[in-house]
Amino acid sequence: MATYILRRLIQTIGLLFLLSIILFALVNLAPGGPLSAYGGRRIRPEKIEILKRQFGLDKPLPVQYLYWLAGNDWVKVDTNGDGMGDELGSRNGILRGDFGFSYRTREPVLKEIGLRLPNTIYLMSITMLVALIIAIPIGIYSAIKQYSIFDFFATTFSFAGQSIPEFWLGLLLILIFYTWLRNPWTGEPLLPPGGMFTLDSTFSLSDRILHLVLPVLTGTLGWIAWYSRFLRSSLLEILPLNYLKSARARGLPERTVIYKHALSNALIPIVTLLALDLPYIFTGAVLIETIFSWPGMGRLYYQAAVERDYPLLMAVLIIGAAFIILCNLLADVLYAYLDPRVRYE
Amino acid sequence: MFTQKRTLFFLTVTVILSLVLAACQAANTGEPVPVTGSGKDITIVIAEDPPSFNPIVSDTGYDALVMELVMLGLTDVDPQGNVFPELAKELPTVDNGEVKIDESAGTMSVTWKMRQDVQWQDSKPVTADDVLFTWNASSDPDNGSWIPGSDYIDSVEQVDQYSFIVNYNTVYPGYLTQFGGEQLAIWPAHHCDAKQGFVAWDCGRQPLSDGPFVLDEWVEGDHLTFTKNENYYVSGKPEIDKVTVRIVPDDSVRKTMMLQGDADIDMWINVNTANDLQNSETAKVSLSPTDRWVMRLFMNEAAKGTTDATAHPHPILSDVRVRQAIRLAVDVDTINSEIFHGLAHPTWTEFFRPPYACGVPRPAFDPEAAKATLEEAGWKDTDGDGTRECHGCSSGAPEGYKMEMEFITYAEYGEPLELTQQLIAEMLGKIGIKLNITVVEGSVLWDLAENGGIEQGGKFDIDIWDDGYAGVDPTDYLWEAYSQEAIKPGDGWNIARWDNPEVDGLIDQAYTLDEQTRKETFCQIADAIDKEVPIIHLFTVPNADAYSARLEGVQSSVNDLVTWNIADWKIQ
Repeated sequence: MATYILRRLIQTIGLLFLLSIILFALVNLAPGGPLSAYGGRRIRPEKIEILKRQFGLDKPLPVQYLYWLAGNDWVKVDTNGDGMGDELGSRNGILRGDFGFSYRTREPVLKEIGLRLPNTIYLMSITMLVALIIAIPIGIYSAIKQYSIFDFFATTFSFAGQSIPEFWLGLLLILIFYTWLRNPWTGEPLLPPGGMFTLDSTFSLSDRILHLVLPVLTGTLGWIAWYSRFLRSSLLEILPLNYLKSARARGLPERTVIYKHALSNALIPIVTLLALDLPYIFTGAVLIETIFSWPGMGRLYYQAAVERDYPLLMAVLIIGAAFIILCNLLADVLYAYLDPRVRYE
Repeated sequence: MFTQKRTLFFLTVTVILSLVLAACQAANTGEPVPVTGSGKDITIVIAEDPPSFNPIVSDTGYDALVMELVMLGLTDVDPQGNVFPELAKELPTVDNGEVKIDESAGTMSVTWKMRQDVQWQDSKPVTADDVLFTWNASSDPDNGSWIPGSDYIDSVEQVDQYSFIVNYNTVYPGYLTQFGGEQLAIWPAHHCDAKQGFVAWDCGRQPLSDGPFVLDEWVEGDHLTFTKNENYYVSGKPEIDKVTVRIVPDDSVRKTMMLQGDADIDMWINVNTANDLQNSETAKVSLSPTDRWVMRLFMNEAAKGTTDATAHPHPILSDVRVRQAIRLAVDVDTINSEIFHGLAHPTWTEFFRPPYACGVPRPAFDPEAAKATLEEAGWKDTDGDGTRECHGCSSGAPEGYKMEMEFITYAEYGEPLELTQQLIAEMLGKIGIKLNITVVEGSVLWDLAENGGIEQGGKFDIDIWDDGYAGVDPTDYLWEAYSQEAIKPGDGWNIARWDNPEVDGLIDQAYTLDEQTRKETFCQIADAIDKEVPIIHLFTVPNADAYSARLEGVQSSVNDLVTWNIADWKIQ
């Protein structure tokens, strides 16, 4: 297993390198560029030349990629536009942990990401956790009571949960819980429309939870549907198997048969599925963050994409890609750990 | 074999990790400081973070909005277009002897005298040193930027601590707002690091205030808070103690917050929001007394993909009769009532607002006349498919060439513009012009030609969006939008590729301080545009801002952001 993990990690480095080339080319070759958003339509030729030099956009694309990867502190760069190298560059490149600075804010990219990432992890991890806590019992009960009224409602709910667009659901929830429903004691809206906490207030756990309710509710609906349906199917495949019949024949109570013998095997694919969904915890959800004014990675990515903020965009993409690859590896390893029949050589 | 214990172990680890992360996040955010509120606090909601407090750098509008809270320029412009002094003691004019024109050399010099009672928040005075510092930093060829009219400045000389002279290499009518207005502030020499460069310096995001408020906190993506500047030079102002700018990306959520009384200002609301707020008791809509943004059709006189209308004339649009026919076929009143709730104002010339309003007659909406004009121009539908073809047309198109073109707009404006685009395509379809609709991002439409920019590269037939000149001086804008020099990609925005030597001469003639000459010149340009129709002006979109009913003194302005007079606002 250790050899397998090591081999996969080495492959990951190669894959990330290839991905970085493809992403860099795609991002830079897409129509539109950062200078059109930088200074508005009225940007003038003088300013364009200055900005190009400052952003390193005056170099051919392969050179730009090389500087992005390995930095430019080993070559003299042209700072005054005379075509001659004047002084050593100041970038270290991502291989040395320098993702550059955001074109929009002129702040280091890692600082920008560092400000947003904790907010996204906070929201998405709780969303995923709530989804699992609700989805697992629904999935189990639906499987045990297949074709019951509960199963019928759970199935309907699942289809609805996966079909309802998040932006519509989010706005509907805001309408209900912020505009229509009132706290009977204070007369204030029942729930806030967005943000992470009430400004100008001391820290309060209840305030934090109130701000989480709507975005978490919006985000969990789809996941609840997804995980509960998956668990239901997984259990339904296992329930008719002989080893469970044998357990029942030995006189084990039905509760033990289901929760000890059936569920433990039915959860294996769920755990691997969960590992594959983990990147969402880091990449965030654009629509939920936008509707609920949540300062997370999804909004940061969207803004960087719209404004062609290449360094920020590349950093988010590469870090996201790394998370996805590592979570895939985690899923494989977990699968082998949880199911001894699976072996990697 | 996999056991239940393992499952429980895995889930427990997941739960603990999530809770630890949540707890870390809570600790990371920092504890908001409780404020002893006086009830004079307001909340402004905007869609995204300002990139900085320096609008010259990125011009998003959000930067100018917050700049007005903390920074001052030499002058500013009110909603009626009147320039008023901020850091300047008075406005320099020819009459008060502060503007001197050398007729023989065609140059001028302007002497500015500054107020002596304005201080930065650290109690240091705002002086001419700061103006020179700002000018030197902004005009630094390596790290500077470009500010309107800077090409016309030869030098800026300090006279004493509170006065300086600007020497121009021409007569520049826009001199009054050159060191002020909605974009340029005077920056503190002792606080900003010139070596970092004007566009990148830290003080652009951590400003030292000489305006009515002081920046307290900026939590990116979430909010900015400002408190009253106790050193503000106007005694007793501002009346508001605290301003919170919250980042609320979704416009319907911002509108709901306005309706619920949880927000006091929502800048740049669209017509749908303005319409929805009309009968609200908690929120009001302020409209600018004059408009600026004219929705317009740009018609490319050069063949698609080229930028030289003489060498490569557009097979359809190079004939002025076709452009005139298109103008006759667009029913602006219907667009206004169907899409803009009657809130738009039909506009048919660049010169519709004071002080340079010209009496250009409104063109008629007459589809039959449009059809006749197209017939006369050699565009006929002989195969009966509803789209005309060239049969003896004089625009250089081959015989039988279909009257079919691409019609582009940008996505960021939203639904009203896309519906307008569709409606215009329908209207032109009725006279036999087939338009294929495309919606692109603004960053693609307006990018450099070398990066695939559609307009700069001439890769369009017709497009539609809103444009208009800032402030009260249209001269630079005219040069940029209509002069022959502005046709070449990268040099300007004459994207219709309209080449009219007479207009070039008139634009040059407008660089004078003689108001009568300027008015006459602008109206001659208006007539030329009306006659040759390089652009079809359709209607102005109201510049509207929403404000809460408890606020007094809010006045939307096309010449500045709604916060231009925030020091004068009162809470009922």
